[in-house]
Formats: sequence, C-alpha cells, structure tokens
Amino acid sequence: MDELDPVIHAQARLRIMATLATLELDESIAFPRLQELLEMTAGNLSTHLRKLEEPAYVDITKTHRGRTPVTYLSLSKKGRRAFEDYMDTLRTVLGEQP
Amino acid sequence: MLALYNDQQRAVAVKMGGFVPGIMAGWGTAWLIGFTALWLIDGLKPAFSLPIGLAIGIFIGVLVIAIGISIWLGVRSSRGVKSGSANAFSGTVYGVTWSVGSIAIGAIGGALIQNGLSSDLANLFYPSIYVFFVGIMYVMAGAIWQAVPSVIVGGWLVVIAAVAPFIGYPWHYLFFAIAGGVGLLLFSVLGRNLLNGSSAFAKAAA
Repeated sequence: MDELDPVIHAQARLRIMATLATLELDESIAFPRLQELLEMTAGNLSTHLRKLEEPAYVDITKTHRGRTPVTYLSLSKKGRRAFEDYMDTLRTVLGEQP
Repeated sequence: MLALYNDQQRAVAVKMGGFVPGIMAGWGTAWLIGFTALWLIDGLKPAFSLPIGLAIGIFIGVLVIAIGISIWLGVRSSRGVKSGSANAFSGTVYGVTWSVGSIAIGAIGGALIQNGLSSDLANLFYPSIYVFFVGIMYVMAGAIWQAVPSVIVGGWLVVIAAVAPFIGYPWHYLFFAIAGGVGLLLFSVLGRNLLNGSSAFAKAAA
C-alpha cells in the first residue's frame, strides 16, 4: 500500500484520528470533550466526523445522560487498522522505519 | 503530517495525563507539611515543641486536602471518556483496594497496640506501613496502566518506608517529610517536564 488514505490525509481528520487512537480499545469519548481536546468548533468537528463515518472508520454511539443526549465516539476496528496503515505508509514515504 | 500527528498525541497526553504530576505535587506538599508537623512534636525539643493534638490535626488536615485534590483532578481528567468493561473493572478494584487497604492498616495497628505494642513503636509502625502501602499501590497502578514513572515513584516509596524505621523516632518523620514529601514534589516536576517534552510518559500515564 503506497497511497496515503485520502480520508485520513487531511490535517483536521488526522488530528481526530490521532486523538481517538490514544483511547483504549473499548473506550469512547464524548463529543464535547473531543472538541475540547482538538480545539475545533462543533460544526467543523461534525463535518470531519461525517467524512470519517462514511468508510466506517469511526463508531458513533448516541445515548442519553439523564435527559441530555450525549454522542460518544471511538475508532472502529476498521478505522484503527486504516490509521495504522496510514501511519506506516506515511513513515515509509518519509523514509523512516515503519 | 508526521509532526502534526506527534504534536496532537502530545497535546492529548498533556490534557489527559497532566493530572498525574498534579496529584503527586498535592501529595508531596501534604507529606512535607504533615510529616514535618509530626516531627516538630519532639524533634526540636526543648527549644520548640508543637502540641501533639495540633500536629496530628495538621497531618490529618493536609491528607484530607490531598485526597480531595486527587479525586477532583482524577475526575476532571477522565470526564467525557467512557471506559469499557475491562478498564472499568481494573479501575474499580484499584480504587476499592485503596480504601480496604487503608482500613486494614488501621486495624492491624490497632490490634498490635491492643496486644502490647508501645506507642513509641506505633510511631514507627504507622507511617512506615502507610508509606509502604502507598508505594505498593503506585507500583500496582504502573503495572495495570503500563506507566513506568508510577513504578519508579512507587519503588522509591517502598524503599524509604523500609529505611525509615531504622532511623528511629522522631527523626524518621523528618526523613519522610524530605525523602517522601520533597521526593514526590521532585518527581512531579520531572513528570511534568517529561509530559511536555515527549508523549511517552503520558501515553503510559493515560
């Protein structure tokens, strides 16, 4: 695989993937907290998450805490694999050992 | 893009793991003040002596504040993160072990006193077993969450807990204040520098 995955290869989406990749396998993060970690606006983050959701790289779970709806996000298995491949490819392109 | 990736991981590490040096600084300060207060009961006699009730009050007071700071920082850093069942299990068992272990230490000490342990020896026993327990819990945390710095700090506490009783009353309190209190403060500064300098520390801490 020599092509850099175009879904991930955009600044905002790489940052989102990198942040989600720091979570443990069975952890997920609430939308507002992710927004705070990334320092992105809600609209911007939503747009990019939608692009990551299309190839099913991101799992989105909508739930309720009391009456407030909360959206939890995590990398899907496919997303984690795609991100690892992307990082390997990126390092290879840059001449580093993957 | 690789630099962007590294920067982002570091930023997350600082925001998610930044509470660990904070907690250590809280405990370092608490031990420095608390153990110094206990040392001042007899340590500078006859020139000066802190009343025993006041010294114990200060010691308990700073511990309660440190516990409060730990809980506040811990909860704040993990807000918005839903852990899976495996992680939640480790966290719960670890948290409950703190309470159960602390109560057990109190009970063991109480039983020893009931069976004739003098108050002089209790003065050596309680702080040493307490610091020993805290050290073991730090090592455990490091083992569970793959955090090498936590293992190092815990190992250091186990060592000073084992050395302190040989120093004897009241100087072992001053030893705990410096080796434990100042030690934790130094580890906290070191941890913060590591955290800001590389993502490795916080990846381990997170």
